[in-house]
Amino acid sequence: VLHSTRPLHTSQQCSAPVPPLPEKGGEVRHGLIPEEFFQFLYPKTGVTGPYMLGTGLLLYLLSKEIYVVNHETVASACILAVIIYGVKKFGPDVAAFADKLNEEKVASALAVKNEAIKDLETAIEQEKKEQWRVEGRSYLFDAKRNNVAMLLETNYRERLMTVYSEVKKRLDYQLAMQNLKRQKEQDHMIQWVEKSVIQSITPQQQKESVAKCILDLKALSRSAQAAA
Amino acid sequence: MNLSFFDQFASPCLLGIPLILLSMLFPYLLISPQDNRWLSNRLSTLQLWFINLITKQLMLPLNKNGHKWALILTSLMTFLLLTNLLGLLPYTFTPTTQLSMNMALALPLWLATLLTGLRNQPSISLGHLLPEGTPTPLIPALILIETTSLLIRPLALGVRLTANLTAGHLLIQLIATATSVLLPILPSVSILTALILLLLTILEVAVAMIQAYVFVLLLSLYLQENI
Repeated sequence: VLHSTRPLHTSQQCSAPVPPLPEKGGEVRHGLIPEEFFQFLYPKTGVTGPYMLGTGLLLYLLSKEIYVVNHETVASACILAVIIYGVKKFGPDVAAFADKLNEEKVASALAVKNEAIKDLETAIEQEKKEQWRVEGRSYLFDAKRNNVAMLLETNYRERLMTVYSEVKKRLDYQLAMQNLKRQKEQDHMIQWVEKSVIQSITPQQQKESVAKCILDLKALSRSAQAAA
Repeated sequence: MNLSFFDQFASPCLLGIPLILLSMLFPYLLISPQDNRWLSNRLSTLQLWFINLITKQLMLPLNKNGHKWALILTSLMTFLLLTNLLGLLPYTFTPTTQLSMNMALALPLWLATLLTGLRNQPSISLGHLLPEGTPTPLIPALILIETTSLLIRPLALGVRLTANLTAGHLLIQLIATATSVLLPILPSVSILTALILLLLTILEVAVAMIQAYVFVLLLSLYLQENI
């Protein structure tokens, strides 16, 4: 395949790198004749040269009946009219469509590239954040260590408290036992003394003491009346 | 030179050398060769897009086995489309106006679909001869009718394409003759005829494209039944 952008026979044909396509197609006048033809004739015949050539050629063919006008001429006029109308009307749209197809191809590839770049940038951000986090590692460990120490201390104190309360319970028990014993002994003694005293009271003594109490009460009432 | 109406259908010959093969290869001058580029020029991009469109459309209803036919159907479509369209230019020989060529395209391809069907799934292929839901007394007659319709398919394919194109070309020639003959006599009627010719030309462009599409579509339908 001959690459059209490479001038003929100037260098070897090679497939890679692919030579770039020209930006625009070759210039044509009236849609058919390349501009180079007009430039070729310009030095000798000026601007009207090619047109004179065309007209002369056409008239020569017609007058000498080298080209015969028959029904095909009419048919060709029609098909040419249809073709030219089609090209003039739909040409720019078709060209825009072809350009759009190429644009979409390029855009999708660019989109892939941009997505990859964005993803990598996000990954870099994440990595930086992780590095910053690593710096604060010592503080984290200190805090954790303090936490653990506090837990241990609390636990120790709780257990100390348990021991103290248990010992106190045992001692209280002993104390209560002794108090109870003393109390019982006291009560028992009092009861025995009362019982013996009550037993030792003779009936004689009882009558005497009751009479004495009555005399005392009378005296008291008299003093109370006197006072009032 | 004075042309009769049928000179356009004569197989081209130069000094006794038949040029038919050259005229059949002409359309491929219009298709740009495959370029090893990612982004090509407008023509290549459009042609590639068009071929992709045709292939996708043709291969949609076919199963995986049918995808083996992608290359031949797409290239057939491209060939017929370009040949028909090129034939509308003046003094151009259209190969597809020759019955011999169209039969040479239609008969082998149709026979290939039939034999593929009969070889791989014979009962299903033969089952297509009887449409569903026919009442029992009609079955023998219907089998005969369906067999006839099956055997006439290649003839129909070839003759359809030939007849459409030949008729179109002949009509163009006739109406053009009428226009050119009436021009010195009754110019106004000549203008009217020229208008008819213009409309006919547009019709012929459409017919050229449609006939190519119909040919390939029918072949793909026959393939669908049998593969």
